[in-house]
Amino acid sequence: MVKTDLSVSLGTLRLKNPVMSASGTFGYGLEFAPFYDISRLGAIVVKGLSLAPTPGNPPGRIVETASGMLNAIGLQNIGVERFIADVAPRLSDAGATFAANIYGRTTDDYSAVASRLSELPSLAAIEVNASCPNVKEGGMAFGATAEGVARLTGAVRKSTAKPLWVKLSPNVSDIGSVAAAAEDSGADAVSLINTIVGMAVDHRTRRPKLSNVTGGLSGPAIKPVALRMVWEACKRVKIPVIGIGGIQTAADALEFIIVGASAVQVGTANFRNPRACVEIIEGMEAFMREERLPGIDSFRGKLLL
Amino acid sequence: MPHSRMRFVAGRILRNEGHGDIFYRLEASVPEPVEFEPGQFAMVSGWPGSDPLLPRPLAIFRAGAGQKGKGTVEFVYKVVGRGTALLSGMHPGEPLSLTMPLGRGFDLGGDGRLYWLVGGGVGFSTVFPAAAALGRRRAEHEMFLGSRTREQLPPKEWTPGGSAPGRVHLCTEDGTAGYFGRVTDFVRERMAALADADASRLTVLACGPREMLKDIALAASARGAEMQAALENHMACGFGVCWGCVVALREGEKTSYRRVCREGPVFDAREVVW
Repeated sequence: MVKTDLSVSLGTLRLKNPVMSASGTFGYGLEFAPFYDISRLGAIVVKGLSLAPTPGNPPGRIVETASGMLNAIGLQNIGVERFIADVAPRLSDAGATFAANIYGRTTDDYSAVASRLSELPSLAAIEVNASCPNVKEGGMAFGATAEGVARLTGAVRKSTAKPLWVKLSPNVSDIGSVAAAAEDSGADAVSLINTIVGMAVDHRTRRPKLSNVTGGLSGPAIKPVALRMVWEACKRVKIPVIGIGGIQTAADALEFIIVGASAVQVGTANFRNPRACVEIIEGMEAFMREERLPGIDSFRGKLLL
Repeated sequence: MPHSRMRFVAGRILRNEGHGDIFYRLEASVPEPVEFEPGQFAMVSGWPGSDPLLPRPLAIFRAGAGQKGKGTVEFVYKVVGRGTALLSGMHPGEPLSLTMPLGRGFDLGGDGRLYWLVGGGVGFSTVFPAAAALGRRRAEHEMFLGSRTREQLPPKEWTPGGSAPGRVHLCTEDGTAGYFGRVTDFVRERMAALADADASRLTVLACGPREMLKDIALAASARGAEMQAALENHMACGFGVCWGCVVALREGEKTSYRRVCREGPVFDAREVVW
């Protein structure tokens, strides 16, 4: 039997397979070590890191909706210094490939986090969160327009030589132009989509179910929107596109690759099934064997229209 | 060997029966025996489809040895929404997914302590395992169970140690069994009447509605008694990665958000910002 090769290239970065964990759904990665060998993942993208630890939003942070969930966590995190001191060495010891999602209120904040993380030789990439819908400053405030994304990407580009990914918001009218703005400003890849802004209300108490009032929708409910936006971005940019949004199975992941994604990130599925990422990797291997496909590139972007 | 570290396992329903109007008792076969601390929980799913998407957090009611080296695990749950409604419709033989054991359970370590276990509503399913553990150790303990009405109290045969006189106090809001009124009021009355020497060695272990926990916590604190409160919250993952289930805790001068699933579900009631 021929050994299946799932490896993919994201610019200069070679990943053993195209399956990564999505930031914010995988903690700092080590939490999944009891469930499987975390070095099996293409990469782990850790929870968004800011310069200082962030407390996050008050409780009333999540609510379930039909085939999905809304969250308004507000980027609670341990801060970049503790990540570097306590977490990164353990991820390296576990043999994991890992990328850091970063977040700040201003472009200077983002640059400072990126610059500090660049000192970590073991860090594979930096993913700029230009799309969190649950914080008042930063995040989606940048990602809402092509100009904002260009400004943020350009600033972070100057402070790191690491592969730079920009995570985009779906809450825009033309995802293609936003992706192009990231590409033109020095991004090595774009990842999309982050969550879709949504809301849930209790009709008896007449109150919003989230303390933040609105939150980000994720899960299988958003997959069709994600797939369409990834397809549009892939048509527009030459840099690799990382597909995210409602991926639960190998078939879901393969759909994103067929519309042109070079890799995928699995998010909310990790909550439902802690082994989701490895089951997706195994499912993709099985599919490639069945179809006798030599590699991911042999069907990437091969959508028949 | 039973495992006490969390695992994600495939189980199979052995029994899933309704009791009274509102409780279901679910027993599942799992690949290996599970060892759990009273107060720990599992994330449970198994209904087909993706609506609801997320598993449900259920307190582990009992765990034991099954056939051929397998384990069994039991839960008592109340139908509160779509997820538990779908779960209640599942049959023996159907598959379940379980992640367990999760969280930090009750600390039953203190020698010479007097334990009061308080269960409001389905909260008894969290405190019964603690009562069973204390009973095995012959530690001094009493139990206080509250519900709206007689039919919503747990069946007597579920109660650890049966109905030893003076050990279990029932309270119903409509007076159909035991004390006529809320369990909160009964516990507060008893606490006020407690000798100082007993109050200072009292540890309350409680699970139930937030108002009940809050009021009993204030009463316990006023008497210098300890209290461990098992909290509930909506959870996406149950094992510490989504940060969705946090509660505010007092830490020195500050408050911090801590995860019910990881730092809890059992917290020192004095630290909880009620």
